[in-house]
Amino acid sequence: MDQAKPAKSRALRVLGQIRSWLSQPSNIILLFFLIALTVLTLYPLLSMLTETFTIHTGREARAARLTAGTLSMYHFERLFATAENDYSWIQFYQPLLNTLLVSIAASLIAIFFGGTVAFLVTRTDLKYKKFVSGVFTFPYIMPAWTLALFWETFFKNVHIGLKTSNGIMASVFGVYMPEWFVYGAFPIALVLGLHYAPFAYILIGGILRNMDANLEEAATILKTSRGRVIWKITLPIVKPAMLSTLLLVFASSMSAYSVPVFLGSPVRFYVLSTKMKSLMDSYPGQAYIIVGVMILFGVSILLLNQKVTNSRKQFTTVTGKSGQISKIRLRKANRPIAVLLVILLLLFAVVPLITFAMESVIIKAGDYSLKNMTLDFWIGTHLEERLDQGDSTGILLNPKVWNALGFSLALAVTCALVAGTCGILVGYGVARKRGTRLAGWVNSLSFFPYLMPSLAFGAIYLAMSSRIPWLRGFLLLSLVGSVKYLPFASRSGVNAMLQLSGEIEEAAVITGVPWWKRMLRVLFPIQKSSFLSGYLLPLVSCMRELSLFVLLVPTSNTILTTMLMQYSEKGWAQFGNAINLLIILVVLLINYLVNKLTGASIDKGVGG
Amino acid sequence: MRKLLSVVLALMLVLGSVPAFADIAADIEAGQGLTHEELVEKALAESGTFVVYGNTSRIATAAEDFAALYGIPTESNNLKDQEIYTKLRSETGSSAADMVMIQDGAQLTDAIDEGLVLNFVPASVKDLLDEADQQPALVHQYINKLFIYNNLGDQVPAIRNVWELTAPEMKGNVIFKNPESEKVNMNFLVMCTKDEWADKLAAAYELWKGEPISLGEYKNAGYKWVAEFLANVTFGKSDTTIAEEVSQETAAGKIGLFVLSKLRSSSVLTDNLTVAQYDGYQNSYSVEPFAGFMYPMYTMINSKATRPYTGMLFIEYLMTQEGFQPWGKSIGAYSPNASIPVNEGDLSIDVWKASLVMEDAAYILESFEVEDFILQHCQK
Repeated sequence: MDQAKPAKSRALRVLGQIRSWLSQPSNIILLFFLIALTVLTLYPLLSMLTETFTIHTGREARAARLTAGTLSMYHFERLFATAENDYSWIQFYQPLLNTLLVSIAASLIAIFFGGTVAFLVTRTDLKYKKFVSGVFTFPYIMPAWTLALFWETFFKNVHIGLKTSNGIMASVFGVYMPEWFVYGAFPIALVLGLHYAPFAYILIGGILRNMDANLEEAATILKTSRGRVIWKITLPIVKPAMLSTLLLVFASSMSAYSVPVFLGSPVRFYVLSTKMKSLMDSYPGQAYIIVGVMILFGVSILLLNQKVTNSRKQFTTVTGKSGQISKIRLRKANRPIAVLLVILLLLFAVVPLITFAMESVIIKAGDYSLKNMTLDFWIGTHLEERLDQGDSTGILLNPKVWNALGFSLALAVTCALVAGTCGILVGYGVARKRGTRLAGWVNSLSFFPYLMPSLAFGAIYLAMSSRIPWLRGFLLLSLVGSVKYLPFASRSGVNAMLQLSGEIEEAAVITGVPWWKRMLRVLFPIQKSSFLSGYLLPLVSCMRELSLFVLLVPTSNTILTTMLMQYSEKGWAQFGNAINLLIILVVLLINYLVNKLTGASIDKGVGG
Repeated sequence: MRKLLSVVLALMLVLGSVPAFADIAADIEAGQGLTHEELVEKALAESGTFVVYGNTSRIATAAEDFAALYGIPTESNNLKDQEIYTKLRSETGSSAADMVMIQDGAQLTDAIDEGLVLNFVPASVKDLLDEADQQPALVHQYINKLFIYNNLGDQVPAIRNVWELTAPEMKGNVIFKNPESEKVNMNFLVMCTKDEWADKLAAAYELWKGEPISLGEYKNAGYKWVAEFLANVTFGKSDTTIAEEVSQETAAGKIGLFVLSKLRSSSVLTDNLTVAQYDGYQNSYSVEPFAGFMYPMYTMINSKATRPYTGMLFIEYLMTQEGFQPWGKSIGAYSPNASIPVNEGDLSIDVWKASLVMEDAAYILESFEVEDFILQHCQK
């Protein structure tokens, strides 16, 4: 009896502790995401790991002289240590070096370009801000490979690459760019860097815009020089955002597939992702090892990133007090900087659009005269005169295109809502429980899908879905999309929540405001722009995603991007370009509508 | 609990409705003996949308015509060969393909061994086809990739011998799709190293140089040609791009190895292109020892098909003149069905078979080391 009492009270105490632990919404959120993300991200990872030890039927079994299904180290030996025919060097080491070169360069370009523009827009009195801010996200809205295609069509000439035709630069301006400029590491890094520069712009800009001006003001009062303020105060504050950008751009560049194919293959420049794709066809075991290596690199940067955000240095930049940020006056430098920026943006963001429009109306490739132009590929009704088969109407009159547009939009909106909301919740949980092991796990897990190359992620989900009969079609696509794009939302969620000082919520807690009301009425409004970018990034990415969905779509006409790829592959470049332009215009329209309705937009995270 | 039970029951129902491999094999066995009318009757008795995957874009037209003819709802998908194989391995249920049109005989052999796909030869065409075009897989058509060159300027690469492509002055003037990105291209290069073609290449070398070939480090003339050919090649993205680029007015002196049917594309300046083998045929010579290569496109039934009889009916339809029409109406596709003539202006399938390198799945399957050799030379 005497012994039972303490046992009972101990049990009660534990129960009480559990109840009190569960009474905090942040704990419930973290627990839920720990379980969900383990199933949705760790399971694919583990199933991929087993593939790297498994001998698959067909070519692999014959080459390894083992029966299919055997577990073996064969793939590792083959990929890492085969000297014959320089196999390992060609299939792994050289592409690895190329990948690292390109990914690091792309990250630096993105951070430098995006960060500089973000700084100029938020912290100076730069002219034409509205234009700069509005147009800067265009390269991200375009599928990266169309930007690569643009680069090639614009700069190619008869002295380099295929040496068959002149692009606009050579034929119109008579300027023949050297090969290194048009093909290989430089343009690949540049195109990827420009494509992902909006990440830097959004993440760094968001912080610059919302940071508490008191810090800088204090320094200014103490007569600290401008340069020192930037170096000692501004840069450390944006450091987490810079590291986040590095992580995002590096991992994306590493798994980018079509850009290296377009700009690398004419000069035989191969990267890991191109090797992974071709190995996937014949030696999947080795392909999955490459995926593993890519993930390892991503994880190392993730760990570095975490070390910074989890360190004792706090970067609470938004407090309850408001501050007027003083803007640097650029004076005489203003116009030259602004003009240079506008020219650069026109070249990277607007000229490609014009090129797509041009390519969608010309009949024979390379001839830009008026008599070679027609609007038939947009609104024509008798295209059988121009094409010997396939669609007979222009894309705007084609019901297939409208259906695909509807599907793509529904998919993108669903993924954005799911990923965006989860991202805010993860951000809240992680920020409130910062430093705990649980928060660390959820933070890492929520970022994990980003490190899996899209193509491999799609392949694994396809294999998973074959065991779950009801998981197909729209449901499967939106699940994959939501998981894959959660990292965008969780990053912006975590970053935004970390900036919020706990005292803001505490004030509401003291007055007894329920949790959901605190979220909706207090936290969300303050960091609205950051949170909305957590919705918009998945939306935009989803609208132009190809490799993630290519294996999972029920038919190639299901979504716009697979349709676009089909048209390009069939050689109907006009349809392809028209659809590409359509995608970009639709996303711009969404951005505009969101802007009108909520006051936020992709670029508004930074503001003009 | 009741909810759980209903979910389990629904699952069992769904899983149970997926017919087993053996059932489909039995259906095909039965289908092979059916007359056209009986096949139609069986197909119409099947429900749902008939799904077909194809490695050719013109499958869309064929599927639409088929749907209109029999009133069967049909959905076609143009996918790359590898995507089809991946989907065949993973997809089940009624949204999976019932039938596929697919290339790369080597991989197909594996897929047949794995039990992924089954062969069906319609009774109506059995007697019109060579045995080799019926077993182990039914050939729907042959597709050729040919040496086609730009005919402008004074440096026209009107080759008569493939060794001309290995000359130093041809460096950067030969355009081909990367064999890593399309298996049939890899298969062609592998085939060059087979004794049969290596011997022909050795003879062609002597014809070209006037002296016997010295192999040096190479195992045979095939390896030597492949290595030296790849050293001169620039890789293009796709056959469409290659056709467009080689046809440009600024592309004098360039030669490509790509699908003949790309000449139908409206974006290709066809007048600027000459097909080496056509020129040879008109001027009574032939390109030594081959003018390109040719590979089959097969039709197969998915072993997890839910509408196998519709699949069989579609195969039967594809093998008729009407069903072949989407491909047959322009050059570059050849039916093995002797009753379907080739396009006007094109050469007969027998002429092509004699002058082009054909796939030998058995040799390719055993030659993974040759592929390593080729990859090495794709990098250099």
